[in-house]
Amino acid sequence: MNSATDPGARAAAGCIARLAGVSYAIGGRTIFDGLDIEIARGRITAIMGPSGTGKTTLLRLITGQIRPGAGRIEVDGEDLARLDTDGLYRLRQRMGMLFQNGALLTDLDVYENVAFPLREHTDLPESLVARIVLMKLQAVGLRGAARLMPAELSGGMARRVALARAIVMDPKILIYDEPFAGLDPIAMGVVLRLIRSTNDALGLTSIVVSHDVQEIGLLCDTAYLLSAGKVAAAGTPARLAADPAPVVRQFMSGEADGPVPFHYPAPDYEAQLLGAEVPA
Amino acid sequence: MSLGAEFAVTGRELAEKWGRFTLFTARLCAVTPRALLRPRLLVEQVHNTGALSLVIIMLSGLFVGMVLGLQGFDLLRRFGSTESLGSAVALGLLRELGPVVTALLYAGRAGTALTSEIGLMSATDQLAAMEMMAVDPVRRVCAPRFIGGVVAMPLLAAIFSMTGIFGGQLVGVTLMGVDAGQFWSQMRSAVELRDITEGIIKSGAFGLACSAIAVYEGYHAVPTAEGVGRATTRTVVTSSVAVLVLDYMLTALLL
Repeated sequence: MNSATDPGARAAAGCIARLAGVSYAIGGRTIFDGLDIEIARGRITAIMGPSGTGKTTLLRLITGQIRPGAGRIEVDGEDLARLDTDGLYRLRQRMGMLFQNGALLTDLDVYENVAFPLREHTDLPESLVARIVLMKLQAVGLRGAARLMPAELSGGMARRVALARAIVMDPKILIYDEPFAGLDPIAMGVVLRLIRSTNDALGLTSIVVSHDVQEIGLLCDTAYLLSAGKVAAAGTPARLAADPAPVVRQFMSGEADGPVPFHYPAPDYEAQLLGAEVPA
Repeated sequence: MSLGAEFAVTGRELAEKWGRFTLFTARLCAVTPRALLRPRLLVEQVHNTGALSLVIIMLSGLFVGMVLGLQGFDLLRRFGSTESLGSAVALGLLRELGPVVTALLYAGRAGTALTSEIGLMSATDQLAAMEMMAVDPVRRVCAPRFIGGVVAMPLLAAIFSMTGIFGGQLVGVTLMGVDAGQFWSQMRSAVELRDITEGIIKSGAFGLACSAIAVYEGYHAVPTAEGVGRATTRTVVTSSVAVLVLDYMLTALLL
């Protein structure tokens, strides 16, 4: 269902996060220039794009870790520009984020990692903390690994523990940064199913940043393809796959050269070889 | 760039860094009351920075005391007053060597551990993950380590001085034949409460400086292997210089 372009669906489902005319530059390099994105409530929205297009930067903007140079970002009814640090922290308690490598706290075991947000934000008795943690670990299939340290986990297991930690406070929005990177096919399948089942069972909104076209195609309801600081295409995975725009075709079919060039900008090849110039 | 312009740039960078450090330390102090509400975290950090440094502190204290015993004996023998060895060793350790050498060893052992730990937490997104869980990493990670260092340093300095005095006694009395009664009685009559207070004030100040520098460098380390390595080196260099500068200033103030 294409909620990004279908106003009816958007109105019905509602929009939980919205970026309007967002521009962001760092070190003189423009990352985004007038970016418009809407995240539909209750859906899985994918943010795709070639490496270096600022997908992770986009997540940092949505979570308020960095502020845009221009434009407006609203998340769960709050204008991020108007929030002070306390307001931002209150908003983040309604969000969960899964980092690319899991970002588990290495001095705590699996159980304590999942219990961490509960211990920091609530005064729940230990018996209740234990029940919540075990339920979340059961949901990701790692109840038996509760006393393992993060160093003892495989990449896929670490991501599943991070997922349990991300949902332990029952957030409204769950954000995944490259959840499939570096996983074997089995672990990838597990994470894929978990993202879908977590989203549907808990009634969450999920934002998945990835460049794994196949997996994202199976997972998301709506996808945005970023290129050159703007949205190059938006819609259902099927619609993106059929998009004739060269940049979309290059990305979706994994062509080495195209609008995103294979070669990094360089001086003339022949002249450089004949002149035997050593790159300065 | 001319030499003057380079000096100007370096001066501005130093001023900027000093400003950032001051702001960070103010933030650390501001979150300290909330961090004190989590005594378990503090005990853990006093153990990490203090108890785990005990072996190196005691070993160094023993040998520094033994060297003081030897040098002091040789010097005092020239004036025929070897019976003052006890007071010379004790005063030297309590007022000067105890706090300073402890702080230098602390910077090398615990300071580097703090910087690299926090720097690696940053490099592996653990601090960012905390922020995303609405947990302030300065309060949860930096403040307990900072307070742990401030508490541990005077305790370590006291242990250093104690083992140092034992080392001085070992050499002076056991090896060089200074009378044990004179060694201890001279020490007891020469050492006043203000000598001990001076040592405590100094080690407290060094604890504040070294811990704040270690935590600051770790928190602001470039999140790469090279960045964390450089930050760890900066911790040792900056802490050592800060300890020596502070030592002069405090000695001048307290004399």
